[in-house]
Amino acid sequence: MKIFRFRRVCIPQASALTKSGMHSISRFFQPSTKIQLGPLEQQLLHLLWQRGNATVRELLADGELKLAYTTVMTTLDRLYKKRLLDRVAEGRAFRYSPHHTQEELEKAFAGETIRHFLSSGTTSSLPLSYLVEVVSEHDERLLDELQQLLDEKRRELKRKEKQ
Amino acid sequence: MMFVARCLGVSLAVFILLYVFSSFAVSRVWKWFWRALRPGSAGGAADLLFFLRILPPGLSTVFTLAITVPSFLILEPHSTDEAIGTVPITLGLCCLAFLAAGCVHAVLAQRRTSRAIAQWLCGSSVMETSGSVPVLKTADGAPSFTVAGVCAPRVLVSEAAVAALSASELQTALRHEMAHARRHDNLKKLVFRLTVFPGMSKLEGAWSEQTEMAADDGAVSCLRDALDLAAALIKVSRLSSWQPPAALTTALLHSSTALSARIQRLFNWDQKPEPLMRQRRWWYVSIGATAITICFVLTYSSMLTGMHAVTEWLVR
Repeated sequence: MKIFRFRRVCIPQASALTKSGMHSISRFFQPSTKIQLGPLEQQLLHLLWQRGNATVRELLADGELKLAYTTVMTTLDRLYKKRLLDRVAEGRAFRYSPHHTQEELEKAFAGETIRHFLSSGTTSSLPLSYLVEVVSEHDERLLDELQQLLDEKRRELKRKEKQ
Repeated sequence: MMFVARCLGVSLAVFILLYVFSSFAVSRVWKWFWRALRPGSAGGAADLLFFLRILPPGLSTVFTLAITVPSFLILEPHSTDEAIGTVPITLGLCCLAFLAAGCVHAVLAQRRTSRAIAQWLCGSSVMETSGSVPVLKTADGAPSFTVAGVCAPRVLVSEAAVAALSASELQTALRHEMAHARRHDNLKKLVFRLTVFPGMSKLEGAWSEQTEMAADDGAVSCLRDALDLAAALIKVSRLSSWQPPAALTTALLHSSTALSARIQRLFNWDQKPEPLMRQRRWWYVSIGATAITICFVLTYSSMLTGMHAVTEWLVR
């Protein structure tokens, strides 16, 4: 969830989002239709991804949120209007659930960021070459990290076998 | 003559209608279906995704051959000299164009793959292995590990990969490729090409990922094997940057993004007992098949009559 924490992120105008998968999500990423997702909205979305679904009261009962009932209710309503949440009536309240999975939204966000980056340079191939460079470096780092983990696991296995 | 042409036109029209509707439905709901069933193993997940992918062509073929054609042959009077009708002709031609497109797609993929394999096999030599699938050592320039061939699969290993991997890592990586060969993954890819339909690429991508994991499971029998396979994956990734495999081949690295997830999965490898669902899978399949057969036999005559009414409506 690092990607959504501690900064405001751009997400698609969610009213344009549909459930028909990532293709349709990316299709609606237009600069004019972007909106901002605030820290509380991100936090609530994260909590709902963890829980699956919840009412305002249940979210407050968890103790993670030290906010007024109406604040949470208004924020959830805002997320619903942005079509990031679904809701069903339950008594006099609503039960909210995420409209998209965390993976879907993160993919869409990453896709949008890369698309903007690629269209930002004066020479079209320049951002792409930067990107390839960074991805290669990242790949190397990732492989190094995985190799370290592998060495650790092998040492652990040897220790277990000796015992 | 007109009777045969009408039968053909109507059958092809029903086939294409059913094919398009069922393919569209599958391309929309497969994710939901997959999440709802949540197969316990990667092999089960890959099989389910493959089943969903071939359900539309399979269903359309069975329906056409078992219901549309017999209903026309039995219930349509041979003596009438009725015209074929614009709708069956148009849909029939669409169907033929669709089938031809699938064949062309498959033939082109096969030709591209054959050319690539011929290039890789230049200067190759046979490697001694214990498995039932032949293993060939290829010169540099070929992918590190590949399963090539649709009907008679062979495993191709580059000299660079043989040099980079330890004996146990090499054996585990070869077992991974042999698992692909045993599962006939290249043949399944050919089926996908033959039954091409827009909007199925995500389903096919998910199937590819699951087959890689299923092959990982097939190659690994203990944590040591899992770590050897993880080491092989890391070394092969360092050997060359990831390239998409040739159309009808299967490579050790499916995609660079899936690598990390696969290695993490191997690190956490744990021999779990076979899920109960898997043990009883054939029971469920046979019970389902029997139920469908009984329903089919009991309602066959009414299905033929209903189908004939539909074809009459189509011909008009």
